[in-house]
Amino acid sequence: MGLSSANTVVNEGFQFCIFDLRRGQHEGQELDKILFFYPADLPFSTQLSVIGLSEGLITFTRIFSPEAACEVIEAERHSHVFHQAEPDIWMVMVVEKSKESDAIWRIDALRRVLKEVHSLFVMFHGSIRSLLDKEPSGELVRSHLYAFIMDYLSAFQKRSPWDICCCDFLVGKKIKLPSFRDCLKERGTVQMLTVGREAALEVQSLVRVLESCAGNAPCYSLVLFQDLLVSTTLSPDDTINLFTYAVLRLAPNALLSRASSWSYLRKGNTASQIAAASVMASSGSVSEQFYGSRDTSPHGGERSHVVRPLQHNKWYKGTDGFLVTDIWGPEVGSMVSATPTVLLHQTEERMYLCVYQHKSLTLILLFPISSILNGEQGISVVKQQIVENASLKMLKVEEKLSKGWGGENAYHVGGYRYLLVDGDRNVSRASPPGKVTTLTKESLISLSNLREEIDLEKSRAKWDDPDHEKDLEICIRAKNNAWVIARTTRGKELYMVLEKANETLLFASDAIEKFSNRYCSGAFSLD
Amino acid sequence: MFGKASSSQLSVSLGGSGALSHVYIQHPPLRCSIPGSKGLFYDDGNKLILSPTSDQVFSWKTVPFASHVAPTSDSISEGPVLSIRYSLDSKLLAIQRSNHEIQFWNRETGETFSQRCRSETESILGFFWTDCPKCDIVFVKTSGMDLFSYDSETKSLHLVETKKMNVSWYVYTHESRLILLASGMQCKSFTGFQLSSAGMIRLPKFEMAMAKSEANNKPVLAAEDVHIITVYGRIYCLQVDRVAMLLHSYRFYRDAVVQQGSLPIYSDKIAISVVDNVLLVHQVDAKVVILYDIFADSRAPISAPLPLLLRGFPRASSSSSRTGNKDTDGSEANDRSDHETIIYGDNWIFLVPDLICDVAKRLLWKIHLDLEAISASSSEVPSVLEFLQRRKLEANKAKQLCLAIVRTVILERRPVSMVTRAIDVLVTSYSNSIKTGSYFKGIKAEKPPTSDVSNVNPPTSVVDESIRREDALGKSIKHGSASGVENESINRSPAFSVSDSEENVSFENSNHLRSLGAKADRENFKVAESSQSEVQKLSLQSQLLGPSNSPLNANYSENLESQVTSAAISPDEMYSCVFASVEEEMAGDPAYFVTIVIEFLRSANVERIKVHPNIYVLTVQLLARHERYAELGLFIINKILEPSKEVALQLLESGRQNIQTRKLGLDMLRQLSLHHDYVLLLVQDGYYLEALRYARKNKVTTVRPSLFLEAAFASTDPQHLAAVLRFFSDFIPGFKNTADHIAYCRILNEMNSSITA
Repeated sequence: MGLSSANTVVNEGFQFCIFDLRRGQHEGQELDKILFFYPADLPFSTQLSVIGLSEGLITFTRIFSPEAACEVIEAERHSHVFHQAEPDIWMVMVVEKSKESDAIWRIDALRRVLKEVHSLFVMFHGSIRSLLDKEPSGELVRSHLYAFIMDYLSAFQKRSPWDICCCDFLVGKKIKLPSFRDCLKERGTVQMLTVGREAALEVQSLVRVLESCAGNAPCYSLVLFQDLLVSTTLSPDDTINLFTYAVLRLAPNALLSRASSWSYLRKGNTASQIAAASVMASSGSVSEQFYGSRDTSPHGGERSHVVRPLQHNKWYKGTDGFLVTDIWGPEVGSMVSATPTVLLHQTEERMYLCVYQHKSLTLILLFPISSILNGEQGISVVKQQIVENASLKMLKVEEKLSKGWGGENAYHVGGYRYLLVDGDRNVSRASPPGKVTTLTKESLISLSNLREEIDLEKSRAKWDDPDHEKDLEICIRAKNNAWVIARTTRGKELYMVLEKANETLLFASDAIEKFSNRYCSGAFSLD
Repeated sequence: MFGKASSSQLSVSLGGSGALSHVYIQHPPLRCSIPGSKGLFYDDGNKLILSPTSDQVFSWKTVPFASHVAPTSDSISEGPVLSIRYSLDSKLLAIQRSNHEIQFWNRETGETFSQRCRSETESILGFFWTDCPKCDIVFVKTSGMDLFSYDSETKSLHLVETKKMNVSWYVYTHESRLILLASGMQCKSFTGFQLSSAGMIRLPKFEMAMAKSEANNKPVLAAEDVHIITVYGRIYCLQVDRVAMLLHSYRFYRDAVVQQGSLPIYSDKIAISVVDNVLLVHQVDAKVVILYDIFADSRAPISAPLPLLLRGFPRASSSSSRTGNKDTDGSEANDRSDHETIIYGDNWIFLVPDLICDVAKRLLWKIHLDLEAISASSSEVPSVLEFLQRRKLEANKAKQLCLAIVRTVILERRPVSMVTRAIDVLVTSYSNSIKTGSYFKGIKAEKPPTSDVSNVNPPTSVVDESIRREDALGKSIKHGSASGVENESINRSPAFSVSDSEENVSFENSNHLRSLGAKADRENFKVAESSQSEVQKLSLQSQLLGPSNSPLNANYSENLESQVTSAAISPDEMYSCVFASVEEEMAGDPAYFVTIVIEFLRSANVERIKVHPNIYVLTVQLLARHERYAELGLFIINKILEPSKEVALQLLESGRQNIQTRKLGLDMLRQLSLHHDYVLLLVQDGYYLEALRYARKNKVTTVRPSLFLEAAFASTDPQHLAAVLRFFSDFIPGFKNTADHIAYCRILNEMNSSITA
């Protein structure tokens, strides 16, 4: 059973919108508040009714809970998931419930999708509010949001089976969302590579050398091996964003597809543009007018280029080992592609993004724009420095990590299907997807339901006593006689399915104790 | 008198270290003038300067070197003295009276006897005492070598063996136990023997290279052109080629002699000294000295040629402040004429390995290296550190210099790559010193360093006071390197047995070390298991020609090395003398400092050296202070900062502002099985129920029940309080009778009644 087929395909029932409560408050200007709507070919009246319902609910619930208004509406056939991305800017996702088509959702998983798309958007384009302030007509933000979210949702066929957390959602015209089958995954966390002390020291040594290449400027770095994080000097939020992006578009697996279809792409970017354009075209003529045609959007005399960082197959490896892309367009007056930039959440500083790849090792380096004086020229100097100073160390680190890596099933624990989340560090680890697929549907659905319960319990506890984290343990005997277990303790969560377990609860708790002692240094063994 | 002299010298030497010189001789010299002396002789077997008069022979010990050594004397009969040496056990005195006769004295009984050549055709070139098991004394004659053993009962010499060959002249040094016999027209064919306590080894015959000036003019090699030197336990022969103006070097192996390359010379007259394994080539005519450290294969000099400096000479020192200096009168004024020393004068004779004898004025000088000046002269920090780490004589000074250099490069924020190499040098050197055991000997001589070794006082201990003497400076205490006769004879035996391989030596040492390590009570160092392979690797490195050509050992040097304090710097000292002090002075961005610490940890990890937890604590403090919690977390999770109680407590402390960091500290306590602390902290944080469960599971009974009860009471949840009360009533016998139980039962009742009410 392949993963892609396992994902639920949603067609008609799916809607996704972003709107601004501060806009369009006058009769006849309602359209103004819509910043994004999917599917875009829906009539405006329908769009407005969805948004109107959401807005009404938000306004109503705010009366009782001004801090956190509405989170979710469960209707008979639909679920509405709310997320306030920025003050008064809301993202709402509507999914259809249906027993036959596996459309069983966990709300928190869906909300995390909303969070992810928003924080990625902010990382590349800045906050929605700032774009709105920049151009009050909303033209700019709509074109950016449209391109960005469509790219985010768009298809990506060649997924490696061990890709754990980040998948794209659009298969052809259909969108697949994280369903109960993904209940042993946690979006918005990073997956770390476990390294020994010696390798860790080598990595740190490399990181320090890299950072010294930028001179005195504060420089950040992220080191990935395959799809796993090895080291970061960024704040947790920025780490998650960049890690997500890297796994989506930069990691060796993400680049593979390009290499395999090289000749096809080399023929001209037209092909891929046609592909992208067809996605746009499918969304109908309405969007053309409303969101502005991508190629002709008129922003005065300025360059009307909309940067689409999530476009597929746009990154490739340059001769010097650095990854290059033309997403950010050519540098003014030259043929060289401009260096990508991202905005850091923590420091709110715009940084140049340089990516170096050697075999399975990906190094992401961020230099503040303000510290590099001559733009592209300065960047190429830094790159040269890196190649000169750090090449040897990179070879060494890559070799060391490759030697220590156990392959895609490295973190498989026989007999267990688990998900381990460390909320303090935003790190998760799970059984490899290939192993998760061996679980029966019943087990997965019960775990999904159990997680739903835990999510609820967690958010309740958070409101009750934010300083005190509660311990929680639930063991369920599922219909198919599998043990489904959740245990949380002081910020750490462990979810587990034991299908071949023994009859007794004692056995189950014994198994969890063993697991805890061996793989979590005893964090979950309390009694 | 000495007190005054030393105080004036102290100031001079401090000022003088800045002078343009890397090598100096220290005033005052050892004065060997005895009225009626017939000349000075150097007995290198016993390290004595001998001065015979008509009926007495005076001797001064040169090791340890001091200017005030009083001579001892033996009476002898009158007669010519060509050469004179004490036997190695100092019981016999041998005097060469003529080309055919050597006379012997028994110092205890005063008896004498003579040994003559058998035929008149041969003549004695010289003789030396040896510790070779088969003989006691060797006569070198024009017809070859005669090996004799001394029979103490018959009080006579027995001929053990004769090696027949034509000998033009010979060179012998006791420190190498090597004799080279020259023969042939040009005297450039050599036969060598090593007569060590391991037995006699015959070296293959070899020829020295000599350039020809003209077609028919063949230069003849003279004895003074050939020098045997011993550096780092290896034996080399240096040969002056006057035509080519080169100094050829040869290294001796057990079964081969290999030319090692040549050094240029700039003077017709060349003298060689070895100070602390540094080769000094005195360019006598040019009055400069060039230093070489031939540890590595590099033949580049350490620094530019510079003159030899005379330190502490009253006239010289007062030249700058002559007007106000009234100290240089009195006793010193009397022998001022005596002191008019001409550097590289014609009367200078260079003695093996590091002495200069002024024959005319009967003065003996010892050559010293000026480590400060040498280290200041190069900007190539790693190589300077390597050089300093190899120094044994002034190990403490070298060590302090190393620490100062590292501190400076870090404070100056030099490029990371360079600091990394510098740190690598120190760590590798420390690791080697642990493997060879010299570090522990050093520790033993000092004292077991405590965790805060910030004291840099010169170590004093009773253990080997006998071989230590305050040198004239009085400011540093130095170990005597080759400390007298008795000491040497002890050291000799194990190392001498070796010539076949260095491995044995290393094994000896590491075995020795095992017991020492235990004694020194330093369980951190995992030396004991210094595996065979490691040791072999070491010895392989030093063998240039592979196992078949194991190097000839200069026998005792290995053991001597371990006698003195090593310049190696332990991680503890790195922490207290470098990191802790540097961190205080470095303000601002911690990135650079953290980088250096990481490099240090990496280097230590490669060498499998345990690092002091304080370094980890310091890193935690630093990262937390600059709110780099993400990196800190990564370091802890990856165990870059190894878990220990100190680190855990620091994490808890730094985690006051950051709950995640605090949790890391708690987790670390749990993983270290520090149950008591863990439970206590859980209770403090309000997790009293979890704490109870944990306490029960791990049988922690040391935390007072009242703490749990207070915490439960503070939560204002009567159920919890009841649960905690019940727990203690059930699991602690006799708890029901304690005041705590009674008090909290009452409180619980009040709480319940207030709820129901």
